[in-house]
Amino acid sequence: MGYLKVLLQNLLAGPATEPFPFGEALTPKGLRGRVQYDPHTCVGCRTCELSCAGGAIRIEMKPEALEFTLWHDTCAFCGLCAFYCPTDAIRLSDDWHLSHTDDRKFEMIEKGRIPAIHCAACGEECYATQPAADLFDHPPSREELERLRGYCPRCRRKLAAEGAQP
Amino acid sequence: MGLLSRISSRSPWLYRINAGSCNGCDVELATTALIPRFDVERLGCQYCGSPRHADIVLITGPLTVRVKDKVLRLFEEIPDPKVTVAVGICPISGGVFRGSYSICGPVSKYIPIDVDVPGCPPRPQAIIEGIAKAIEVWKERL
Repeated sequence: MGYLKVLLQNLLAGPATEPFPFGEALTPKGLRGRVQYDPHTCVGCRTCELSCAGGAIRIEMKPEALEFTLWHDTCAFCGLCAFYCPTDAIRLSDDWHLSHTDDRKFEMIEKGRIPAIHCAACGEECYATQPAADLFDHPPSREELERLRGYCPRCRRKLAAEGAQP
Repeated sequence: MGLLSRISSRSPWLYRINAGSCNGCDVELATTALIPRFDVERLGCQYCGSPRHADIVLITGPLTVRVKDKVLRLFEEIPDPKVTVAVGICPISGGVFRGSYSICGPVSKYIPIDVDVPGCPPRPQAIIEGIAKAIEVWKERL
């Protein structure tokens, strides 16, 4: 009579099959899916481009802007870019709905743009990236980072050092 | 649409070509078909052993130099109309093997691809989503 117990268990447990694609699929926490890039917090160090296994990330330093491009059709979703990013400007979301028809192949990209500016102190051309946190001897506040955004790397170092003095 | 087309649009048969894959995507393809949790047969699909019975072709792997001629010969044997699905990033773009001396470039250089499922490997639900899209294309082709 053991089978009656199994029968009852199966009746109570319901089907083992996931309802997808007719219903919602379970997405585990921490699943590595579509990559998101935030140009506002990017420091422009290009470590993500260096660490990318599939060569999916391209950073072009054009005269008018620093342009970030990531192609999801060659991204291995390994998460190395997010791991090495010093400011978490790259994150992997849990969106895995990436299948597409072949005509949309080259639209599967994530783009970001950091405009070029002239340094507010010396006038040198540079990109308006977020200042790197290791310029400071203390964890910088949001105001300090925003204040240095308009300067070139050399002037940033000088201003950060001046700010550190008592 | 004739009676035969109406019936066959409900049950496209799947055929799997391994174009030099690392076997990761192939394991995920086996998972989608064999494990009741995912169960691709709900969509009327079934894996078949012969290319002559196939309707939807699932291609994995970056198309290595060694396997290229065999893959193209197999693809010729599949009767028209057929729908091609590239599973994983390797057949779409070359993936992590792009630029290697032993790769003939992306599969789309030689074979027309209809649906892409990126991932390394894509999760079984993503493959099922791609197959569902391929079935839509298949219905239009009939």
